[in-house]
Amino acid sequence: MKTPARLIASPSAWHRINVGVRTGLAAFGGYGLALLGAAAFAVGLPFDFRPDAVSLAIMLAFLLQLVAIIWVFAAATLTRAVLGLAVPAALFGLWLWLLK
Amino acid sequence: MGWLHTWSGLLLGWLLFAIYVTGTLSYFRNEITFWMQPELHRAQAVPTEQIAFVRALALLEREASGAQQWTLTLPNPRNPTLGLGWQTAMGGDRQASPGAARERPERSEARGGRGGSAPDSAAEGRPFSGDAARERTGRGEARGERGEEGARRRGRGEEGASAPDSAERRPFPADAARERPDWGEARGAGNASAPQEARPQGSGTGAQAQRQGRGGGGRGARIVLDPASGDKLEGRATAGGNFLYRFHFELYGMDRTTGRWIVGIATVFMFVALVSGVIVHRRIFKDFFTFRSGKGKRSWLDAHNASSVLSLPFHLIITFSGLVLFGHMMIPTAVQSAYGGDNNAYYGVMRSSMGAAETPQASGERAPLITRFAPLIAEAENTWGDGKRVGSITITHPGDRNAVIELRQMNFPGLTGGRNVPTLRFNGVTGEPLGASAPREQSAVQAVGSVLNLLHRGFFATPVPRWLLFLSGVGGALMIASGLVMWTIARARKTAEAARTHWGHRLVEVLNIASIAGLMAAIAVHFWANRLIPASLPARADWEIYAFFIAWAVMFPHAALRRPKAAWVEQLACAGVLFALLPLLNAATGGLALPGSIAGGTGLLVGFDLCALVSGAGLLFAAYKVHTHVPRVRLAAAPTRGEEPDPDPGPETEPGASLPVTMEEAA
Repeated sequence: MKTPARLIASPSAWHRINVGVRTGLAAFGGYGLALLGAAAFAVGLPFDFRPDAVSLAIMLAFLLQLVAIIWVFAAATLTRAVLGLAVPAALFGLWLWLLK
Repeated sequence: MGWLHTWSGLLLGWLLFAIYVTGTLSYFRNEITFWMQPELHRAQAVPTEQIAFVRALALLEREASGAQQWTLTLPNPRNPTLGLGWQTAMGGDRQASPGAARERPERSEARGGRGGSAPDSAAEGRPFSGDAARERTGRGEARGERGEEGARRRGRGEEGASAPDSAERRPFPADAARERPDWGEARGAGNASAPQEARPQGSGTGAQAQRQGRGGGGRGARIVLDPASGDKLEGRATAGGNFLYRFHFELYGMDRTTGRWIVGIATVFMFVALVSGVIVHRRIFKDFFTFRSGKGKRSWLDAHNASSVLSLPFHLIITFSGLVLFGHMMIPTAVQSAYGGDNNAYYGVMRSSMGAAETPQASGERAPLITRFAPLIAEAENTWGDGKRVGSITITHPGDRNAVIELRQMNFPGLTGGRNVPTLRFNGVTGEPLGASAPREQSAVQAVGSVLNLLHRGFFATPVPRWLLFLSGVGGALMIASGLVMWTIARARKTAEAARTHWGHRLVEVLNIASIAGLMAAIAVHFWANRLIPASLPARADWEIYAFFIAWAVMFPHAALRRPKAAWVEQLACAGVLFALLPLLNAATGGLALPGSIAGGTGLLVGFDLCALVSGAGLLFAAYKVHTHVPRVRLAAAPTRGEEPDPDPGPETEPGASLPVTMEEAA
């Protein structure tokens, strides 16, 4: 995982915007993905005892959030950072939609 | 990734440091509470046969004859006193609710599970459950707040859910509170009374608890006895170790939920900083064996790495389990999605899954309660074998023909055993055995959650693991502190080149000083306040806490006004002196002095005093190192930057500081 050059470059307007966008993505995107993932896991995980699925969903959600945040800052470009959140979000959404 | 590590660690680093330090101290919060009530220091734990049960029961009969449940917490290694607690249901619910009657013992069992267990356990469960209720009740909010109470309880339940095991039990309070407001209220107060829970707060708060409970309309109270004589011990009112404990996860002076959210978000930062730190640090294990002292930033980096890697598993688990404890609060979508937003349904399922043990309802006929507990205790200890001891005794419907006596084991079965503390029940009039609690089975997920919860809160811990957890916490605080200091060191050269210190750099520097050295001093002040504020002063427990915050608040302007080096030295020295003198203060203000506690084998007091001494010495040593530190050495040591001596010694003064930090926690 190499830090994108842009993050290290001397502060410039573009750099600031870039960092700002990534920060926003990490905060809201990461949390959003966690919430969505938890919703999907809580219904989708194959447990007979639903509270088990709920508990596991919560644990997985935090891991999801962690990975999402790290991804957002590790991705080489902003586009990739966004895609890295959007694609799993779409998949979770789809899964949730199919389950309901 | 380095960027992410730096900033996620720095932004909330000061808060995280405080969370780590207070959390670390919370592993010994029973001991801290006990130390903070010198009136109890001379109580001697006695073998169960010698406990003054008859007097204790007479006292309960006198003070709590109408209570629905009495609980006696037996002396244990972490608290030598005999605790009495009781809880009176509101008129309405007692009869109203077969359900309630049935649930209550069950719930108290749950609590016992948390509390009763280890000697320590006493305290542990509380904050998440009873305590909160009590405090709230105390403010008289209980009535108006019942709805919210339900919500809170639910919140608590949720937290617990992180440990599936605990969640299983928590649903009770949640549901009960919601469905039967009165019940919830009575509970709230009742919790205070349950010795297991109230124990950490100690008797000191007994009075307070009583007052609060009454004020809020609930009934419940707790008193503390000398186990051998049965004499009532009047401990001073103090929040004890619970203040630090609660601060650890919900801060202070704000709405509980807000505090928890702030801590939760800080925990996410911590998690990110940890994992990105591992990623950034590829040679993690090799570097672990490397320490280059006296090399300025390099040494700081080594110190940061060593403290991080040494207990990396602890940091990861403690952070993750901390998140999971807040899981239902922070990730509400899981329950919403699985139960269509119907939290009642969720807890309903949980509850039905646990198969509550039946407790007979009160018959309404009076009959004398057994007063000889020794045979019951002997039978229980025989049944459990293995040197297992009885931790607490709960009597439901005392004085009724259907009274039930329940003996709960003192210790948790172990890390993987979940929270099912074995219990044994007897008829309270005839003494006829009613059977043992069946061990509950845990699913794999529940087991994982349970282990996370137990690890985080140290429920299972016997002394050695408890000390390991504590030391890991100290390592974590060091890790954070050295990381924070490194931020300024790494930028020292740039700062030195600039004509003026950048305000951001200066800000970090000031915050570092006041939130690392300053926090330590404030904690010491808190302990001093405990002894210096008159025991009879109204609201003295609050003043202990205010003293902490006032002292801490003063550190910030101090750090801002003094040159950094001077500020570090002064605050470290202040904390060091205050800690080092704590054993003397203890002796001078009615506590059992160190020689006496060593001779008497009162380990928890010895531990506190020695920790205070060690912390004080460490802080003073750090102050000395900072004081004698010559910044130029560092610069010269860094080959690439050797050219320019740093004109401003400021940023460099910190090197000594991190050490002290660690030590303080030992207190």
